[in-house]
Amino acid sequence: MKRKTLVALMAGAAFALGSWAAKAEDLTIFWAEWDPANYLQELVNQYAEESGDTITVQTTPWADFQTKTFAEFNAKGDAYDMVVGDSQWLGAGATQGHYVDLTDFFNKHKLNDVMAPATVKYYAEYPGGSGKYWAIPLEGDAIGWAYRKDWFEDPKEKEAFKAKYGRDLAVPQTYAELRDIAEFFYRPDEKKYGVAIYTDNSYDAMAMGVESAIFSYGGDLGDYATYKVDGIVNSKESVAGLEMYKELYKFTPPGWGKTFFIEDNQAVTENLAAMSMNFFAFFPPLVNKATNPNADVTGFFANPAGPDGKRFAALGGQGISIVAYSKKQEAAMKFLEWFIKDDTQKKWAELGGYTCSQAVLKSPEFQNATPYNKAFYDTMFMVKDFWATPEYAEILDQFNQHIYPFVVGGKGTAQEALDAVAKEWTATFTKYKRYKS
Amino acid sequence: MAVVSSPRKAVFNRLAIVGVLIATIVFLAPIYWIASTAFKPRELATTVPPTVFFTPEITPFIKLFVKRVQMTKPVDKATYDAAPWWEQRIYDGGERVLRTGGAVQLSAYPDRFMNSLIVAVISTILAVGFGTFTAYGFSRFKMAGEADLLFFILSTRMLPPIVVAIPMFLMYRAVGLNDTHVGLIILYVAFNLSFSVWLMKGFMDEIPKEYEEAALVDGYSRMQAFFKIVLPEAATGIAATAVFCFITAWNEYAFALMLTNRRAQTAPPFIPSQLGSGLPDWTTIAAGTVLFLLPVAIFTFVLRKHLLRGVTFGAIRK
Amino acid sequence: MATAVMNRLDPRSRAAARGWSDLTIRNVFIIPTIVFLIVFNIFPLIYSLGYSFTDFSAASNEPVQFVGLQNYRDLLTDENIWSNFVITAKYVIVSVAGQMLVGFGLALLLNRSFAFKGLVTTLLLLPMMMSAAVVGLFWRLLYSPSWGPINYIFGLGDFAWLSDPDTALYAVAITDIWMWAPFVMLLSLAGLSAVPKHLYEAAAIDRAGSWYTFTRITLPLVSPLLMIALIFRTMEAFKTFDIAYIMSTQPTTELISIRLYKQAFQQWDTGKSCALAYIVLIMVLAITNMYVKYLNRAKER
Repeated sequence: MKRKTLVALMAGAAFALGSWAAKAEDLTIFWAEWDPANYLQELVNQYAEESGDTITVQTTPWADFQTKTFAEFNAKGDAYDMVVGDSQWLGAGATQGHYVDLTDFFNKHKLNDVMAPATVKYYAEYPGGSGKYWAIPLEGDAIGWAYRKDWFEDPKEKEAFKAKYGRDLAVPQTYAELRDIAEFFYRPDEKKYGVAIYTDNSYDAMAMGVESAIFSYGGDLGDYATYKVDGIVNSKESVAGLEMYKELYKFTPPGWGKTFFIEDNQAVTENLAAMSMNFFAFFPPLVNKATNPNADVTGFFANPAGPDGKRFAALGGQGISIVAYSKKQEAAMKFLEWFIKDDTQKKWAELGGYTCSQAVLKSPEFQNATPYNKAFYDTMFMVKDFWATPEYAEILDQFNQHIYPFVVGGKGTAQEALDAVAKEWTATFTKYKRYKS
Repeated sequence: MAVVSSPRKAVFNRLAIVGVLIATIVFLAPIYWIASTAFKPRELATTVPPTVFFTPEITPFIKLFVKRVQMTKPVDKATYDAAPWWEQRIYDGGERVLRTGGAVQLSAYPDRFMNSLIVAVISTILAVGFGTFTAYGFSRFKMAGEADLLFFILSTRMLPPIVVAIPMFLMYRAVGLNDTHVGLIILYVAFNLSFSVWLMKGFMDEIPKEYEEAALVDGYSRMQAFFKIVLPEAATGIAATAVFCFITAWNEYAFALMLTNRRAQTAPPFIPSQLGSGLPDWTTIAAGTVLFLLPVAIFTFVLRKHLLRGVTFGAIRK
Repeated sequence: MATAVMNRLDPRSRAAARGWSDLTIRNVFIIPTIVFLIVFNIFPLIYSLGYSFTDFSAASNEPVQFVGLQNYRDLLTDENIWSNFVITAKYVIVSVAGQMLVGFGLALLLNRSFAFKGLVTTLLLLPMMMSAAVVGLFWRLLYSPSWGPINYIFGLGDFAWLSDPDTALYAVAITDIWMWAPFVMLLSLAGLSAVPKHLYEAAAIDRAGSWYTFTRITLPLVSPLLMIALIFRTMEAFKTFDIAYIMSTQPTTELISIRLYKQAFQQWDTGKSCALAYIVLIMVLAITNMYVKYLNRAKER
């Protein structure tokens, strides 16, 4: 009797093991804690039904996303099979061997034509122009703006604005206009303020806001190919861009010293600001009446141009990469094949994900799906990104160290801040032997 | 106290009690504010002036336990009407309930809460247990270099945890302790052990050795004397030590964040991550905070008498 | 210290024959703890001491080079690091002094009998039972001029606690005081309740003034426990990370442990961050040592 039970148990165990081995893999995708990750979980649930491979989307708060990912990478851990990593991580991912080379996959599926060009350039390719690809564009994103239509359209306000500035109150086309509108609505005694911008420097939030201004003013952060920074990041255009950001800070609500997407959205829902900067991915709650009492009167526009008509916006968004230390790379590859299908991309967009597929982006269904999708579409053709070198984290920290005291603390001048950035960046790039002598 | 006799002192005494009242109100105001936020409708969470009177809601707690996402469009009426009441509350908040294969997805909170319980309880028992034994050993037996050893034990508490964070991370990875309960438990025992030894040592020193000697004469062995005589005498000190160790382990954040993922992560890193996407849901975070504060508050309240006496006996030498 | 040490039992006595010998018991009781602490505290410490003399980066695959004292030299000549230390010193002084004053003051008030004393004491301990991460999060909200209640209640208008580089550090310190003054209160209360009552009675008979009673009887008797509170709070304040990191990103609130975290886990400058960690450790050791000396002197009195 006892022996029989044992035999049965063993057989059962063997069967279970066998079927487990034949069955499928349990894959893990690592991403930051936000709604798109939940949408992705819903999407991959459908993949599980079709293929049998189960996928879990695991998340961690934005503030620790980079730290956690790289801690795992540097320990060569296989906790994650795929990572939906920030565009700026490509350099480290590619050169330090954390990401699997997807060049062949990319070329085989002609993703260059399938995905929007900016997303291929910034989410997938490293080094720039090399034709080597390390990720599949997954979630497109960029800086955009929400504004209060009711404030803008109020006849009294329009009249007052015209009297003061000699032109109509309308969605700003340039930073100078945006500044005037911010100044116009800045009325602390009424608890109304001009503009909400990013100032959190614990990761890249503030840098994204600042670089949007710098890019539109015709400045740049450096030559990403030669690593030359002096004379570029501290050029007079870049300085003018930073000065504009500082100027905007004057018209923010009080205590605006550590703000990111949460605070900027709250500025809209709680009637604090006329205009608010944010990544497009954070706009959904603004069009939902249950979360934004002003949903009906909230409008959206793309990042304005600089004085010379140049118009750019900082790129957010991520591509999905296969982790080199994963033991399930084949299954991961199979999933990516499914993910890039047109059908999947369409579903992805329907769930709320920001697809990078050109076909979907161009479709009227997509552009009319929300009040801000059109602005998103426009923006994705004028995006520029931060550095993506392996020493990205160090570069970012140095940038933050100097722009934050200037913008929020009012210390020194924009020129001094950016000169210091140029100096430290040059030193850092020298340390990593980026300059060919 | 005993010598309150003059009317001046009585007045002073009364003033002091008024002072206590005011201090209690000041200290508890933020906690009251968090607790009341846990029962507020979302739109009242961050009003200025703060909303004091409102109809309490259970919604934040429902949301705490259900996985959900923001919606851009309101849910259609048929779905809404067909949903149970608690699900409707989530729709009212402009969110959508996530399901897998038709079943509502539970949020990670219950799991994380259980992990916290497992890790904090076991690590507290171990830290206090080892601490008690070691303190007894130091207190009752001579040992070469005793003072140095004791200072060594204290000094392990002085380390900024970040000093050991990197080696710890690499070590844990190498031996597979990453993202395990055991890994966290070991770590928290290491944090608390020095504190526990020091507190218990002071306490052991206070227990007259004559008790044990009498027991030995009565035919107990050393070990029996320890378990039957010393331990009951030490109960107060053990309780006080346990409260401190539990509080530390229960709330530890940085290592829980770095060393754990989905399997063993505790609640402290999880609660702040509920800020939501796009718009913060302070009510849900407050609900998570309040629930998380309950076990440790109850534990402390139950042991409150020991806590005071334990610290007294443990640290003061006559 | 030696008062409680028992004489070794006569090895031939009956008691000693029962069960384990004293030596075995001592070893069984003490050695596991020591071994455990060595493995999980000292071993990683030696590990990082080794790293601190190299240019090791956990993020790169390049061969590790021995650089001698270079890391230490770089750090000690880096102005930014010194400013981090100055900020930390300011923070430790303000927040620990505040905790001692508030905590001890509370204990003095509580040190009498009244209804619900146990409940009130437990309620006052609530702040220290919370997770620092959550405390930081909610206090950031409390301080917010746009949606926090503090400015409203105190009529401070738009005063931006955390956005003003000059006040941010103090705002964080106030939060820390709120959270940890109860700890000092608990220890002080323990000390106060241990002061023998007959001393007060004697003072009353001598018609001693209350200030005299306080400075000559209460304070000296409570001081050892106050010193213990001071030691632990200073050590912890020196290591503060969570609260400050979550509440503010001002350069004026960049405590040394925040710099350490950035160096170690954002820039992955492992060697250098280990060196910095050692500098911090030596400082904490020095301060604690100083305190322990005072503590011993206070106990002797």
